[in-house]
Amino acid sequence: MPSAIEPPVPLMPKNGARLRAGFERWNRKLHFYSGLFLIFFLWLFAFTGLLLNHPSWTFHEFWKNRQQTNYERVIAPPGPNVNGDLGQARDIMKQLGIDGEILWTTTRTEASQLDFQVRRPGHFFVIKANWAQKRAAVQRSDVNLWGVMKILHTFTGNVADDPRNTRDWALTFLWAYSMDAVAAGLIYMVLSSWYMWLRLPQKRFPGAIVLGLGLLSCGLFCMGLRWLF
Amino acid sequence: MKGRFYRLTRDLHLYLGLFISPFVLVFSISVFSFVHSWIPSLAPETVNTRVVSAVALPGDLEKLSGRPLIDALKPILENMNIRGEIGFVRHLVKEEKLIIPVSIPGRATTVSINLAGHEATVVSRETGLADALVTLHRSPGQHGPDIRMNWFYIKAWRWFADATVYLTLFISVSGIYLWYMLRVERRVGFILLVAGTLSFFGIAYALSH
Repeated sequence: MPSAIEPPVPLMPKNGARLRAGFERWNRKLHFYSGLFLIFFLWLFAFTGLLLNHPSWTFHEFWKNRQQTNYERVIAPPGPNVNGDLGQARDIMKQLGIDGEILWTTTRTEASQLDFQVRRPGHFFVIKANWAQKRAAVQRSDVNLWGVMKILHTFTGNVADDPRNTRDWALTFLWAYSMDAVAAGLIYMVLSSWYMWLRLPQKRFPGAIVLGLGLLSCGLFCMGLRWLF
Repeated sequence: MKGRFYRLTRDLHLYLGLFISPFVLVFSISVFSFVHSWIPSLAPETVNTRVVSAVALPGDLEKLSGRPLIDALKPILENMNIRGEIGFVRHLVKEEKLIIPVSIPGRATTVSINLAGHEATVVSRETGLADALVTLHRSPGQHGPDIRMNWFYIKAWRWFADATVYLTLFISVSGIYLWYMLRVERRVGFILLVAGTLSFFGIAYALSH
């Protein structure tokens, strides 16, 4: 039973301290749990980012080393329920047994002709379908593992400034949202690491210098160059 | 000896992680723009147009292409007080025009040089921070290696981007070591590591087969 002269609110700081300790423990746990879960995603994007920034390194060349095959298949005209370019392209892909993200590169000029590309990491298809001739010509290119890895880095299904080319394959959606998740996970890891560092009084000063250097150099590129030039 | 190695690894993990953390944020935040083809802007884009006359042009400019063209354009642009990374130059033969895109993260400038009239129209757009992050994320990039990095700062950005990758690899490996040293966390961590590995390879396999 507290007396009248005792401090009136001893419970709040205790609860607060407990909450903070719990938050710190879980922040630390979640920091390395996220890192462990995302490790292969992180390695893929980091490593392929390096490769994409060094196109002159020849060991990861994939397009020159592709294997290309050409073939023709008989196709049936799309049924009455198939509507639009996308529906017709999907109908043709189903008949040809091809799965992937559709890429529109040409403008349609004839109603019985449909030219389009299908892409998925490792495989590229150029399809020219003609219902009047009931044939589809397919050019298939298969690339090596370097190609698969580098395409995964950029495989979003969207083409910038081209509203016609948007995601249309379920697996592209899955991969795109995985990219979002990896990015969100990395942002969380950065923020949680800042919090953990701030909770270490003896590391605050050297940490602040290092973080300050990082912020300055990164800020120069993000904002500083516009002010300087 | 073991304790010393652990402490050294932990300190390097912390300090190197702090140094690259702003760069990791740049790459991570811009991912959303790439995935959703959406660049948020806090302020409206401002466009500035000006005309520069009596532009001094070398006689053989029309015959040049690739890196020699970029090298020839640099002093011309500097005289017009335009700095930045020069992109793919378009030569409109009939119109006797050169269209030159020049970019600084957050600013896109298009210079149209009228070769016959020795006149240039400079349109400069302030595109904002989000666009700057997107530009940096894909710089210098895989296309046009012979003309890319024609501005010192983009070359310097590549050094930082490369360093971010190398340090990320170090931090991830040292992070695994630091986690492994926490005996009580091994079980849960291992389950998550396996779950992440299966997710990654599962999706990658489904996409490519």
